[in-house]
Amino acid sequence: MSDNEGKVRDHTTLFQEPEYEAMLESKRVNYECGHPDDMVRDIADWTKSWDYREKNLARKSLTVNPAKACQPLGAVFAAAGYQGAMSFVHGSQGCVAYYRSHLSRHFKEPVSAVSSSMTEDAAVFGGLNNLVEGLANTKALYDPEMIAVSTTCMAEVIGDDLNSFIEQARTKAGLDPTMAVPYAHTPAFNGSHIDGYDNMQKGILEHFWEELERAPRPGFNIVPGFDGFAVANIRELRRLMGEMGIDATILSDVSDVYDTPSDGEFRMYAGGTTRDEVKGALHAETTLSLQDYCSRKTLEFCRARGQETRAMHYPMGVAATDELVMTLAELGGVAVPETLRLERGRLVDALADSQSWLHGKTYAIYGDPDFVYAMARFVMETGGEPRHCVATNGNKAWGKKMRALLDGSPFGKDCQVWPGKDLWALRSLLATEPTDLLIGNSHGKYLERDTGVPLVRLTFPIFDRHHHHRFPTWGYQGALNVLVKILDKIFDRLDADTGTLGETDVSFDLTR
Amino acid sequence: MSERLKAQVRDVLDEPACATNRAKAPGERTKGCGNSLVPGAAAGGCAFDGAKIALQPIVDAAHLVHGPLACEGNSWDNRGSASSGPELYRTSFTTDLGELDVVMGHGERKLYRAIRAVVETHRPPAVFVYSTCVSALVGDDLAAVCEAAAERHGLPVIPVDAPGFVGSKNLGNKLAGETLLDHVIGTVEPADPSPLDVNIVGEFNVAGELWQVKPLLDRLGIRILGSISGDARYRQVAMAHRAQVTMLVCAKALTNLARGLEERWGIPWFEGSFYGIEDTSAAIRTLAAMLVERGAPADLLDRAEALIAEEEARTWAALAPFRPRVEGKRVLLYTGGHKTWSVVAALQELGMEVVGTSVRKSTEGDKDRIKAIMGDDTHMFENMAPKDMYAALKAADADVLMSGGRSRFVALKAKTPWVDVNQEKHEAYAGYAGMVELVRHIDRAVNNPMWVDVRAPAPWDDGYAPAAATAPGLRVVNSDATDFEDC
Repeated sequence: MSDNEGKVRDHTTLFQEPEYEAMLESKRVNYECGHPDDMVRDIADWTKSWDYREKNLARKSLTVNPAKACQPLGAVFAAAGYQGAMSFVHGSQGCVAYYRSHLSRHFKEPVSAVSSSMTEDAAVFGGLNNLVEGLANTKALYDPEMIAVSTTCMAEVIGDDLNSFIEQARTKAGLDPTMAVPYAHTPAFNGSHIDGYDNMQKGILEHFWEELERAPRPGFNIVPGFDGFAVANIRELRRLMGEMGIDATILSDVSDVYDTPSDGEFRMYAGGTTRDEVKGALHAETTLSLQDYCSRKTLEFCRARGQETRAMHYPMGVAATDELVMTLAELGGVAVPETLRLERGRLVDALADSQSWLHGKTYAIYGDPDFVYAMARFVMETGGEPRHCVATNGNKAWGKKMRALLDGSPFGKDCQVWPGKDLWALRSLLATEPTDLLIGNSHGKYLERDTGVPLVRLTFPIFDRHHHHRFPTWGYQGALNVLVKILDKIFDRLDADTGTLGETDVSFDLTR
Repeated sequence: MSERLKAQVRDVLDEPACATNRAKAPGERTKGCGNSLVPGAAAGGCAFDGAKIALQPIVDAAHLVHGPLACEGNSWDNRGSASSGPELYRTSFTTDLGELDVVMGHGERKLYRAIRAVVETHRPPAVFVYSTCVSALVGDDLAAVCEAAAERHGLPVIPVDAPGFVGSKNLGNKLAGETLLDHVIGTVEPADPSPLDVNIVGEFNVAGELWQVKPLLDRLGIRILGSISGDARYRQVAMAHRAQVTMLVCAKALTNLARGLEERWGIPWFEGSFYGIEDTSAAIRTLAAMLVERGAPADLLDRAEALIAEEEARTWAALAPFRPRVEGKRVLLYTGGHKTWSVVAALQELGMEVVGTSVRKSTEGDKDRIKAIMGDDTHMFENMAPKDMYAALKAADADVLMSGGRSRFVALKAKTPWVDVNQEKHEAYAGYAGMVELVRHIDRAVNNPMWVDVRAPAPWDDGYAPAAATAPGLRVVNSDATDFEDC
């Protein structure tokens, strides 16, 4: 360190200094009593074998590196898209800290959510008091227009009845009768964040539609679904509708609250679907979900209230965007404008320009069920071949649906679908049957390091790269962004593989 | 333009080894081929560019461009000529002349210093110094500076006097050939001359194509003594005068060089191609026969035949799996500097239909072969203007276009798959292995699913039905004199 005095080192290099290396080595040798290096290496190699893969895939009672989050995370996300809404998660406060950090690390924005901070005594005697006190404090401290209540496991395990608790709490906490307090039971031990999203959406609609009589009138609603790219995607959705001269009520619009400007003003609440919009949404002819698996219960509720419903699987790629555009045009009663025809033409032009680099590339894709569906579909449109499709929160029905999609194209026939499998299972899959590319989220970086398969970050959460969520993946423009991300990865890898000076650089070409 | 350069340009344009040129009236000959530029019409590269791309594959030399930044700044490392060793050729050296240099006449001094800097930092076996429009216009004496620098540093400093304004890229190729004859070839003697030494001229190892062929020659013991200039080393070029035979691959670029090698050092030459199975075999056969004539052991002929038989069989076996994927596809060939009939033959053998092929750079003999293969000459054309090509492709007369990069967007706008077979391509298609690679890429281009999206109308339009388009054969298309696809 003596030669570095006065120079503050970052941890990325500090621990490579000789004294630290010596220290760590001494610790390893004298205190860790680890296995011999050879043995460690042998076992590491074995974990990449077919033998290990079989054991790994047969694993039932242990999930390692799940590619999903829990229900309340989805509920917090859904609630954030309503104007002036504060998420109140009934249960222990530690959970809520996770949702906040999870969303915050992805969106690079402050994320507000509170909890009833239940402790042991609340667990024994019930959480009513915590809920009452919590609601009063939330109102006093953060002055929301709506408090959206969801639950953690703790409250679910002891069986707190939100409906009756909230009614009691309204009086006891002295809440203004106009304060909206929708709620949803969101046990984390059941389903995943996409179900929590669904439940909270339904809870909010139930709350506002409860005492209203439906008076059908033209117009439609859109449920965007849980989406790490929601900021840009919802804006893109609005832009597309603007091109078409139509409008719709977006049920949960997080595009402003998760992308606030730095102008000196902190916005705990920004934008979002207004109370009037939610109420008016009841009268719409149709509710369209852009992510089927995020909205099953919500759509069921919409149907029960007399609406038509439609659902698609994440409008990413050419055909998926075609479906979106045509559905919007149909629901809006307009023709598709020339501008969108041009956008579409530009996208397929880009696909054509790059097709030789994409054709036959193999992919492993993981993420939420709707995303994986759309991603595999788009990959096949580019001539790529999905080989492994993993959704930890996908069920058998999803598996069948994926199979049907993949069997519909010669580019999908060699793909294996893995509903319910986690990223450690995917590691075995990649080690034994490697692909050219891996598409997923930041968690995939360890798979990338372990197996050498380059990772493209295209779904929530993206923690270790910035601002991707500010560019859409939906629509023709979004498909173009996705295409570029994939191509960049292909070319970066190509340059890396051909770039060793004096060894492999005969093909280190300026023009690709 | 100096008198010397004027004379050289005149000589180069009047190429006696060119059949087309010989057929012209005496007064017409010095005008050269298709190099009259039409203002306002799209044109290819300039003479500087041509000289640079012909010499740049000499990979261990430094290539220093004397001019403003534009010439080198816009063009460095833009060719896929691969090197198996030194990477110096990809490093960009330019004097980057500024306004003051031009006004004050500092160009020569700056060039001398630039050469010194290159030599001191890289110590290459030689420095090629290229003139540009600006340095030529202000009258910098490139030859004098190079001579002085060569004396001072004790290594070859070669002036390449081919400023852009003297003419086309092709003319620049030829001026580069003259430069090699005048300054480089014959300056180094090989330590171990062999009766199996050959020159390969006009092969630039784009995407490593030379390496697809070299193993074949290696197996026969044939050594590429002089490579001009694919994956070449400076000394290798300098020893080219001791080869027994020259094979001229791109006739259009460097015929004058092959002729010069014959005139000055008595090395016989022939024109051959490594594109397609039959042409590759023919090239190997001819090389072997000519070497034996020049005194190589006679068993070379038998060994060559054995190699050809083995390689052809292996190639056809490797091509067989592609047949079901490419059979019935209609191909339009629009190629640059290499002959196409043997590619046509191979594609037809795989069940593809060649609906048209350009014959711009083919000899009369080649044209006869194409006629023989394709039945008649209605499918041959000299040039095809972009709008005609677009019309032909738009009418779905072809399933795939094979051409150089500049036709690419014509094809894509006409929603037609396209395979790059020219200089900017990333894949190597030479020799037997290259033919398999080519068919693989045709397969890839034709069968990519995104063509359905590209071709079909938007699904909300009338007539949305991504059915395969069928159309009659290629219509007669009027040729246009505008040659927009360069070698």
